Amino acid sequence: MSLSEYPLFIIGAILVNNILLAKFLGNCPFLGVSRRMDTATGMSMAVIFVMTMAGMITWLVQYYLLVPLEIEYLQTIAFILVIAALVQLVEIVMQKTLPALYRALGIFLPLITTNCAVLGVAIMNINEEYGFVDTLVFSFASAVGYSLALVLFAGIRERFALARIPKVFQGTAIGLVTAGFMALAFSGFAGLVN
Amino acid sequence: MSLAKEFKKGFWDVLPPFRLVLGLCPTLAVTTSAENGAGMGLATTFVLVCSNLLVSLLRKFIPSKVRIAAYIVIIASFVVIVELLMQAYAYPLYQALGIFIPLIVVNCIILGRAEAFAGKNGVAASAADGLGIGLGFTISLFFLGSVREILGNGTWLGLHVMWPGFAPFKFMVRAPGAFVTLGTTLALINWISARLEARRRS
Amino acid sequence: MREILRMVVVLTLICAGSGFALALVHKVTKEPIEYAKLKNVKEPAVKAVLSGYDNDPIKDRIVIVVGKDKRGRPVKLVVFPARKGGKTFAVAFEGTGKGYHGEIGVMVGIDLKTDKLTGIAIVSQSETPGLGARIVEKSFTDPFKGQSLAKPLTKDRIHALSGATFSTNGVLAAVNQARDILTKYRKQMVQ
Repeated sequence: MSLSEYPLFIIGAILVNNILLAKFLGNCPFLGVSRRMDTATGMSMAVIFVMTMAGMITWLVQYYLLVPLEIEYLQTIAFILVIAALVQLVEIVMQKTLPALYRALGIFLPLITTNCAVLGVAIMNINEEYGFVDTLVFSFASAVGYSLALVLFAGIRERFALARIPKVFQGTAIGLVTAGFMALAFSGFAGLVN
Repeated sequence: MSLAKEFKKGFWDVLPPFRLVLGLCPTLAVTTSAENGAGMGLATTFVLVCSNLLVSLLRKFIPSKVRIAAYIVIIASFVVIVELLMQAYAYPLYQALGIFIPLIVVNCIILGRAEAFAGKNGVAASAADGLGIGLGFTISLFFLGSVREILGNGTWLGLHVMWPGFAPFKFMVRAPGAFVTLGTTLALINWISARLEARRRS
Repeated sequence: MREILRMVVVLTLICAGSGFALALVHKVTKEPIEYAKLKNVKEPAVKAVLSGYDNDPIKDRIVIVVGKDKRGRPVKLVVFPARKGGKTFAVAFEGTGKGYHGEIGVMVGIDLKTDKLTGIAIVSQSETPGLGARIVEKSFTDPFKGQSLAKPLTKDRIHALSGATFSTNGVLAAVNQARDILTKYRKQMVQ
């Protein structure tokens, strides 16, 4: 991809094809951590880091291990093991080198292993046949898009605490309906990138 | 607890994704039609039952410290098996469900049940647990898929079911419709739960 | 120490079991998967160019080697035979030609008795929408039916797309490549 095509590519990944609101990846933690701003930003930072690294490593695994050995059918299991190992490694390293950040992220770090967005983006990189640099950019941009949706959502939900919501809708239900309208808003970006 | 009880709880008490609020990613993505919803539900059920069985069988041998890693390998293996079987014998469904088939491996329902139930209970009970919850999930997906297909496409299981002048509500089959349908159905289930609870108390 | 050993052994055993089971399932499903892929992805094109057969062209497909690629590995071509009463009377296979935006894949159907085209179908293309992409339209592909391949096909015998010279030439190149392949490997195709 030429340098001039990157800005559109990035905007596409963040807004038009937002991995959460358009591609439905990463919903479980989305509804769980987005009630407050600080948890939302903590999760965002962790996701950006893990998703970018996982995108790069899984790309290397695919093209230097799975393809040469003709075991592409093991992609799912190889990728999830890479992600689980990566998260474990990140936890151990962060505990020693950046303990404050580690404490701030808390339980969200191990939870990223089961975040379908991370595995989803890793698989998408391969399906779209991106090169290494494009994979890096796409993974990072997707994570930024996810974080954007997360932080916006948290902002809205903090206001819910003051609103009168029917009992049956309280909690996850109203969260989902709100996400629906956010998705509607984001779908307005569809014409932005050709 | 009797086997029947383990089996039945998946249909209401622990019904995913409404009462057991897990497994949302595939729910939102594949319920664009009743058939896709059911297909995904059955694939997930297969993995859930098999992984519950194997985890329960091996529960006394797996050291506690590495149990999550072991569960992930077991679950991922069954997901690959389902992927290969679908590619070979149900290719159109495989194409329709796309990336969400490998994503079954991070469906929190499966890892959740392995950790919460199969790791601590007998083989028969674990199988019943997996089967009940899996089928409950399938019914939920089928229901959501039906609603979205009927309102968003005018068809149900591919057959036209609405009156000729009906203009499909395209919102329903796209992303926003998925969220709103799920949220509204969840609210409905909450309401039914509350009514049942009130009746039980009185 | 004993604990760590146990962890390693258990995980290794589980991974080994998984590897074994998956390799087994992979082996068993390899053929059905290939068939399913071809049936779902290529069959529409094959059906568009062949007719009047009583066999399953996908099931009866023949794989022939048509040369070597840059790394010296054999280049394979899948040929779909149309048969009546066990005898192959027509074949369909893909030819490729360079279009405006990359390669155009064309499924070419040829009647073996008359060496005439039974039809073409565009299998893959990334041409400009509204211009070159119009090669998929029936008004473009229909005139190919019945054209003789005794000599290479030229633009004047079909309905060229105005404003899409590269795309038209790409399709012609693909058809003529198919013609060359037929001349060279005809015997192998009629097994």
